[in-house]
Amino acid sequence: MKVAYYPGCVAQESGKELDMATRAVASRLGLELVDFPTFSCCGSGFVDESNLTLNVAINARNLAIAERAGLSTVMTVCSTCQGMLKLAGQVLATTPTIRSRVDATLRGIGYTYSGSATPKHFLQIIVEDLGGAEALRSKVRRPLRGLKVAAFYGCHLLRPHDRMQFDDPEDPHTFEDVIRALGAEPVDYRGRVMCCGFPIQFVKPATAERIAGAQILDAQQHGADAMATPCPLCHISLDTYQREAGRQVGHQLNMPVFHFPQLVGLALGLDPGTLGLARHLVSTQGALAKLGAVAVPA
Amino acid sequence: MPTIPFEVFRGSPGQTRFDTFSLDIPEHTPILTALLKIRDEIDPTLTLRYSCRQAICGSCAMRINGKSRLACLTPVGPEFRARGKLRIEPMANQPVLRDLVVDQGPFWQRYHSIRPYLVPDPQHPLPVGKESPMTPEQVAQFQETPRCIACASCYSACPAIASDGDFLGPMALAKLFRFVVDPRDGAFHERLLGVQNQSLWLCLRCNLCVESCPKDVRPAERIHDLKWMANQELGALERGSRHAIKFASNIREGGLLNEMKLARETLGLVGMLGQIPKGIELARHGKSIRKHPPIQGREELDAIYRELDRPEDLQHRPRVPGQGVKGPTQQPSKAGGAA
Ligand code: FES
Repeated sequence: MKVAYYPGCVAQESGKELDMATRAVASRLGLELVDFPTFSCCGSGFVDESNLTLNVAINARNLAIAERAGLSTVMTVCSTCQGMLKLAGQVLATTPTIRSRVDATLRGIGYTYSGSATPKHFLQIIVEDLGGAEALRSKVRRPLRGLKVAAFYGCHLLRPHDRMQFDDPEDPHTFEDVIRALGAEPVDYRGRVMCCGFPIQFVKPATAERIAGAQILDAQQHGADAMATPCPLCHISLDTYQREAGRQVGHQLNMPVFHFPQLVGLALGLDPGTLGLARHLVSTQGALAKLGAVAVPA
Repeated sequence: MPTIPFEVFRGSPGQTRFDTFSLDIPEHTPILTALLKIRDEIDPTLTLRYSCRQAICGSCAMRINGKSRLACLTPVGPEFRARGKLRIEPMANQPVLRDLVVDQGPFWQRYHSIRPYLVPDPQHPLPVGKESPMTPEQVAQFQETPRCIACASCYSACPAIASDGDFLGPMALAKLFRFVVDPRDGAFHERLLGVQNQSLWLCLRCNLCVESCPKDVRPAERIHDLKWMANQELGALERGSRHAIKFASNIREGGLLNEMKLARETLGLVGMLGQIPKGIELARHGKSIRKHPPIQGREELDAIYRELDRPEDLQHRPRVPGQGVKGPTQQPSKAGGAA
C-alpha cells in the first residue's frame, strides 16, 4: 500500500522520534510512505477558531496535493491533524457556500480537490487496510509480554463521531486490539477517551496540567506500566509536562509514554534507538526492562 | 430474557459503596425503567431523579458505564453487551446528595450568569404588542440550542469543568450563543466581552459534550462559534484569542508552525521567561524547538491567505453542520425534542 505521508509539525521537530518510529514501522509493514515537502500545517484546531474558511482551504490544498499525485490516502500520525483534515472534508461536503469560495481559491493556485484523497490515521490504516490486529500479530518478533499498556486515544481521532467515522467515540477498542496483538495487556480506564489538556497549555497551564495529571493518575491506578498515544500533542502533555502534571494532582508520577508507532516498533523487534526512545522526558527504561529489551542508548 | 447485573452507586457523602442488583429483563428496557423496578421490587431506598420518562424533562441524567446519558433514553442491551456489565453512577462534576441524585447548584448558577433572556438594545426597543419577525436564515442561526433540556449530561462529561471552576461549561455557553446570535438581542458586544477572561477559552474541544448531548445541541461547536465571533468582534484580547489569531498568521510565514514565535506572541516576554527551564530540559533530550525550514509552495499558501484571511460576515458566518449520524452506542436515535 502506498500513502501520502502527512507528518504534521511536531513530528518534524520537537517530536522527531514519532517520525523516526513511523518510518521504521511502515517499512516493516510494507507500507510505502510518499513525502510531500509542500504540505503545510493543519491549523491544529486554532486557525479555524479565527477563520474557518481559511482553515478549510489550507487543508483542502493539503488533500489536493495528494490527490494530484494519484494517492487516495493521506496518512496522519496525529489525532489533531487527522481531526483538522477530516473537518475540511466535512465542511466541503456539507457547506456549499464555503465549498465555492475554497474551490475558487484553489483554482487560482492551480489545484482542484474532488474528495477522492481522504485522511486516515496510521492506527486506522493498520486496522482497516493492513489486515487488522491479526495480520499485525503475525509480524511480531518481540511480544510485549507482561507489559500493561494504557491506550490514550486523543480526542480528535474519535470525536465528533459523525466527522471522524472511526471506532466508538466514547468506548473505542481498536487501540486495545492492537496492544493485545503486540502481546501486551491493555488497561481498562476511563481516562483513555478523555482530554490531555494540551489545547489550553498556553491559556492556563495549571489547568492543562491538572487535566493531564488526572488521566496519567487514572492509568497508574489501573495498573499501567506505560501509556501509549497516537497523538504527539497528547504526548507533549503526558510526557513533556508530566512532572508539572504530577505536581497539580499531588502525586509523583513516573509513567513512560510511548508514541503509538514506537510501541508497535518495539514488538516488531526494532531497537529502541531507531524508535527514538531516548528523546522522551520520562524514561522508558523501566518498561523496556520489563520486556528484557535492549537498553536505550543515553 | 437475559439476567443483567446492575452495579449501582449508593450512599451519601462520607459513606459510599456499589450495590449489585440482578434483573431478568428484555434488552430493550430503558435503564430508568430497570432502576425503577429495582426500587419498586428490591430496594425502596434507592434514590434517583426522573419525571417524564421520555427524554423531555432532563431529570434522569447519570453515568452509565462512564458515559453521561439520560437513563430513560438508554436501553440496557447495547451497553451491557459492550462492557459485560452496567455500572450506574451519579453525574460527575456535581456533589452527590444521595445515591444517583446530585446537587445541580453550580450548573444552574453558571446558566443564570449568562443572562439567559433577551436584553434588548435601549436605542431600539422591541415593539410592544407586536411580533418581531425573523427571517428563516436568522432562525437557522440558533436552531440547535432551543432543543436543550438542561439535563447537564454535557456538564457531567466535561473535563474542563472537572479541573477548573472558572469555565462556564458547555450548556451555559451554548445558551449564551443562542442569545448572541438572536437579532432581537442588543447585548452582542457585552455578552462576548463577559465571557473573556477564560470562562470561554478553557474549552478543550474534546467534543465529549457533543457525544453526550441527547438533543444534538453540539455544545462544542456552539463554543467554537462563540470563539470565532469573539475573535472577529474583540480581536486578540487575551491569551486564548491571541493564540488562535497568532496561530493563523504564524503558519502563513513558513507553512509549518514556528513554535517559538507562537509561544512568544501568546505568552508575551514575561511569560516566555517562565518557559526557559522547560526549554533547557527539552534540549537535554534532543527536543530543542528549532524553526522549520519553509515548505515548498509557500507562495500558494500566501495566495490562499490573500484571498481568505479577511474578516468574515457575522450574520452569515460559516457553520459546521452536524450530519445527525450517531455514535454506535447511542441508541435509540435522538430525534425529536422539547422546545
Ligand atoms: S425522565 Fe425526563 S428526561 Fe429522562
